[in-house]
Amino acid sequence: MKQLIVGIVIAFSCFGYNQNCTYTFLGELSDFHDGTPIISATIYIKEHDKYLVSDFDGKFKIENLCSGVLNLTISHIGCETKTVSYVIKGDTHKAIQIEHHIEELNEISVTGNTSKKETKTAQETVLKANTLKKYSALNLGDALKEVSGVSSINTGNSIVKPMINGMHSSRLLILNNNVRLQDQDWGIEHAPNIDINSADQISVIKGSGALAYGGDAIGGVIVVNPIRIIRKDTLYGRTIIGGQSNGRGYNISSTFNRSYSSGWFANIQGSFKQNGDFRAPDYNLTNTGLKSHAFTMNTGKKKFESGFEVFYSYLDNEIGILGASHIGSTFDLERAINSGQPSLINDFSYDINAPKQEVTHHLAKASYYKRFKNFGKINLQYDYQNNQRLEFDVRIGDRRNIPAVDLKLQTHTFLADINLDANLNRRINFGIMGRFQDNFANPDTGVRRLIPDYEKYDFGAYTTAEWQISDDLIFDAGLRYDFNRIDAKKFYLKSRWEERGYNVDFLNIILEEFPTQLLTNPVFNFHNISASAGIKYNINDSNQIIFNYSLASRPPNVSELFSDGLHHSAARFELGNLRFDQEIANRLSASYAFNSSKFSLLAEVFYSRVNDFIYLRPFDFILTNRGPFPLWQYQQTNAELFGIDVTATYNLTDALQWQNKTAFIKGYDLETDLPLIDMPSFNTTNQITYNNEAWYNFSASLKSEWVFEQNEFPDFNFEIEDQLTGEITLIDISTPPPAYHLLHLYNEATFSFTEKTNLKVALSINNILNTSYRNYLNRLRYFADDLGRNITLQLELNY
Amino acid sequence: MNTNKLNIKTMKINHLNITKTTNFFVSALFCLTLITSCSSDDDNPPPVNPEEIITNVTLTFTNNADATDIVVLASVAPDGQDGTSNESVTGNFTAGATYDLSLAITNASETPADDVLNDDIIPEADEHFFSYAVNNINLTMTRDGDDINGPNGSKLGVNTTWVAGAASTGNVQITLTHEPTSTDDSDGFGTATGGSEDLNITFNNVDVQ
Repeated sequence: MKQLIVGIVIAFSCFGYNQNCTYTFLGELSDFHDGTPIISATIYIKEHDKYLVSDFDGKFKIENLCSGVLNLTISHIGCETKTVSYVIKGDTHKAIQIEHHIEELNEISVTGNTSKKETKTAQETVLKANTLKKYSALNLGDALKEVSGVSSINTGNSIVKPMINGMHSSRLLILNNNVRLQDQDWGIEHAPNIDINSADQISVIKGSGALAYGGDAIGGVIVVNPIRIIRKDTLYGRTIIGGQSNGRGYNISSTFNRSYSSGWFANIQGSFKQNGDFRAPDYNLTNTGLKSHAFTMNTGKKKFESGFEVFYSYLDNEIGILGASHIGSTFDLERAINSGQPSLINDFSYDINAPKQEVTHHLAKASYYKRFKNFGKINLQYDYQNNQRLEFDVRIGDRRNIPAVDLKLQTHTFLADINLDANLNRRINFGIMGRFQDNFANPDTGVRRLIPDYEKYDFGAYTTAEWQISDDLIFDAGLRYDFNRIDAKKFYLKSRWEERGYNVDFLNIILEEFPTQLLTNPVFNFHNISASAGIKYNINDSNQIIFNYSLASRPPNVSELFSDGLHHSAARFELGNLRFDQEIANRLSASYAFNSSKFSLLAEVFYSRVNDFIYLRPFDFILTNRGPFPLWQYQQTNAELFGIDVTATYNLTDALQWQNKTAFIKGYDLETDLPLIDMPSFNTTNQITYNNEAWYNFSASLKSEWVFEQNEFPDFNFEIEDQLTGEITLIDISTPPPAYHLLHLYNEATFSFTEKTNLKVALSINNILNTSYRNYLNRLRYFADDLGRNITLQLELNY
Repeated sequence: MNTNKLNIKTMKINHLNITKTTNFFVSALFCLTLITSCSSDDDNPPPVNPEEIITNVTLTFTNNADATDIVVLASVAPDGQDGTSNESVTGNFTAGATYDLSLAITNASETPADDVLNDDIIPEADEHFFSYAVNNINLTMTRDGDDINGPNGSKLGVNTTWVAGAASTGNVQITLTHEPTSTDDSDGFGTATGGSEDLNITFNNVDVQ
């Protein structure tokens, strides 16, 4: 153990004369947490250059001491080495607490293959830095697809929302350095605002088992953690530079980490990336450029007993949205679907025009913790987030440069939690959370607000407990209560207000009347209970099983409640409903893991039943002066989802490894007996990897990605009448695109210059065969093919 | 290794952003302590009356030879594109007569009503194109010589002349395309591809008598 390396002790010599060297020092070592004696610890007596070992009571005795200074260095397996100093004036007895269980508490740097999991019995997969670095030029949502059962719902290639077991957006929680991301996650085209380069480790937790983070994670939780602090004197950095052939993209990211053995640390990281128009195999995807700036810094002091951290991150994304996807009418949509290629194809350009998004996200956090002996640890955290979203639509006249959506969401959160770990076999956590959120919808857009001004108050309290019943059996359970209050100022068109019947049910919330509109003040209070319980059993060294049950409760989001109006980019009306209740999900899961030196297998099954599941479906038509438009309405139904995710790895030889990841999921609306919309189809990836450590740590892997056609989908196709000719046209928005198979190649080699300096060169080719395909889970699939071949060269310099 | 240089740069960045961060923190903490003051006062937000909406589209056909022979095709959508529109037809075309079409496109949700045609569309004529279509009704049309120049060498389609043929009943459609990729006005009615439709209105049961 590295921790056993005995620290350097500053020498003090015994001084003075006429010493009386007859004193006795009696030491008693105990555990900081539970006061149990520390047996067999090594005590080095500096002055005598002698070693002692503590006895069964944690005691040790040093005889024939002179008066003066006594320096002891105490070390023990699993403890942090501690140096103490006493002035001896006579016989002395000292009780010394040392920090045992440091490893279990995960307070030290973990290197090698160990990774810290956030949960014990949930279906959790950890992605580590080595995997994440491959995605330096891409998005969080792209990297997460490394986990079987995780897909993404895309708007083009730059807006990538993670999807866990078929659920996305408000049904997933994303935590960035223990701060729950509040970035208007309700919309499919609102991607999470996290720079993948700031992440050192990401945990993907399927289901809502991680109650400490929230009780509404019906789909799952994504925990993004920055680099962990190593408490020693180090300075290191990393720079990644990459270039991509498709989109002529380039990216650069640098990280510097400085830490001191005293516990002080500071990290800074910045990234920049840009690409122009991407290219499908047969044409340019005009206006798909991207420009992204990101910056992260944190500093603080981390010691065993206490510590604090100040963290700030900034992300600014300007994302072009495929020009051809701007449609003005349902007929445009029909033309797009039938023509098979985008209506707007221009030469390559880095320009980003409307439609586009500009999103900036600031996250600032301050946290503090302190440990108390025989008790546990208290954490306090405050964070502030500021999310500004501008969406530019294709507009005419002077309003060309005014965004059609201009929302500023500010969130303040205070967290306090206590981990009682005095007894490591029975740990208890509890915590409280208070949050205030303010959304401001700028009226200067000249477009009626899709999302209203609102204030939201959240309060949560939870407790989780973990029992180590035996070496092979762990049981955990948790309970959480959340209160949410939404207080909105929402304008309704009078016509809609009456058409929805709100004039009967919500008569008393009208604040003001305008010629065509009403200002209303809807206030909603939601009480949510969530719970989870699970068990993990190691049958033997190579077989493990996990069972988990979780109950989650998600209040409707502001989009589901308040949407009312034309969603320009989708050429449809979207109507929310003020009458919605929260979704309640019950999820059962079981995992089986097998590990041997040759073969490993992880199979995860789940069944989830969601009552009052909210989703959007076409409902009716509105004949406007721009032609007929479909009207989509949010609806509540009862739904069930179930599936299995498999990851298998087989070492063919020492150098050759085969890996398979397969996910199968089904989802049904139990009231209409229809399949759920936007469910990932069966998909399987096979990868063969060759490794040769002797040859510059070379590895090459060939990956085959096979995505089947989704054969179960709700038929939401609709017919529209050509007003001029009376001709009826079917708009096929439902039929999923056919299956596709892609091949990807990834090679890397590492060249070491010095012990600490090395260069990793990675060359990858995505979609080697330049296959044309469309993905069911890409909202722009009606308009254009997905990306063609992309050759990426990435240099990673570690120093 | 150029670590020193790198670090100097880093520190500069660091310094700048610490200032920024500090500001954020101060404002954030300030907001937390005065949560009510941050949460805006009790002022109500102002309503948004969309400026670029079109509520009223009126096609007034006037007989060249008889100024009292007028056909009015009117579309009224009080909420603009946000709501339903209602079409009305007043008067009949006279077989064999020639009509001048006068267009009016306004946003009546503002007071006074906003003249969208003259204030927005005509000044950006190169990005707009009116096209017309008829079905089962004997109407033909031409774009006038003094019609405003639209995109790609086509005429915009605001000044047009219509000739009513034999008696018939059918539908008349007007479409305004914004930023069409190509236009063709050779048959008078005109066709556009690409772009997006700002207007697409059909008037049913128009008569030539």
